[in-house]
Amino acid sequence: MTDDPIANHIANCAAGDRAAFRALYRDSSAKLMGVLLRILGERSEAEDALQEVYTRVWTRAGRFDATKGRGMTWLIAIARNLAIDRLRSRPAAASDDGLDMVQDSTPRAEARLIAQGEARRVTDCFATLEPDRAAAVKGAYLDGLSYDDLAARHGVPLNTMRTWLRRSLLKLKECLE
Amino acid sequence: MTDTTLEPDASPEDNDDALAGEYVLGVLDMADRSAVEARMKADTVFAARVAAWEQRLSPLDDETPEVAAPDVLAKIEARLFPVAEKPQRSLFGWLSGMAFAVAVAVAAVVVLAPPTPEVVAVLATKDAGLSYQLTHVGDRLTATRVAGQPAPAGQVHQLWIIAPGQSPVSLGLLEDEALVIDYPVPPAGWLFAVSVEPAGGSPSGLPTGPVILTAPVTSDT
Repeated sequence: MTDDPIANHIANCAAGDRAAFRALYRDSSAKLMGVLLRILGERSEAEDALQEVYTRVWTRAGRFDATKGRGMTWLIAIARNLAIDRLRSRPAAASDDGLDMVQDSTPRAEARLIAQGEARRVTDCFATLEPDRAAAVKGAYLDGLSYDDLAARHGVPLNTMRTWLRRSLLKLKECLE
Repeated sequence: MTDTTLEPDASPEDNDDALAGEYVLGVLDMADRSAVEARMKADTVFAARVAAWEQRLSPLDDETPEVAAPDVLAKIEARLFPVAEKPQRSLFGWLSGMAFAVAVAVAAVVVLAPPTPEVVAVLATKDAGLSYQLTHVGDRLTATRVAGQPAPAGQVHQLWIIAPGQSPVSLGLLEDEALVIDYPVPPAGWLFAVSVEPAGGSPSGLPTGPVILTAPVTSDT
């Protein structure tokens, strides 16, 4: 229990500490709101999802293991999973929003990544992928794009997109090891 | 369901890693997501592959800017820690002196006696083939399956509480182990319910699958 205050808050939540829960909300809600809003695209839905995320965080806090990763990574995984479940449960017609976010977010975001060592490794590895495939992987992770969305955006059949993405993932893994 | 072994040349490990990565990216449809979540529960090696992808891709989180969150902490706390209504005391004001003395005596007994779990509801099918018992002790509510099996792979039983005239609020997922949550004794007249949901729980925050069990809160202290 150390340089990760978020992890400490989560561990204290697992022990039933409600003050730690408030501190956790104070220190992490802006980040999770950013993640939820980016994937869900609508503020009211993101706000609703935010409540559900923190409800899950409290009830699942006992499963967090600080030796396996940072607290914020655990929180964001809960938020992303909830947001993506909601997207995939939506009627198909509503699934194409967020497409236009990929273009403006990617280059700007590239610069911010350079700050951290770990982040730089990821950036370097993304650079080994063909640019449109790297964009597809990031678009999926950051904006919650589905295979249908990605295939439409890149103008390729769905199975081609799936092959691209799976190969890109394995290449990334190899590069990061 | 889509085919999860698109590349017959790839090793089974690579295919599993690609699938775990697809899950973390979020590109799979709902059926495939549920299948992956069921597998994570049954297969710790596969679950570790998913966790590794969450770590690998986490530096990308820096690309998402923070957005001032609405102040919904009070609403979240109201969901998680509802406060039971206090009993009306004004009728007994004239007895307050005596009540104080009695209260001290009662408090002494309460402090000395170890807390005993109190059964607040039993949710069971008519033939009792599936049954969950809800007990309360201290600030903790525990839901234990006392008969039957958990939901089949890819699905989960989800526990809800419903205040009169209100929407259901999730209390958590009923899986292999007992569900223990920080929760006060709910007032009599509130309803517990169990629905069948996709693995991971209702994606909408409200029951989406069939409600298979309901029971009112049977005691109020």
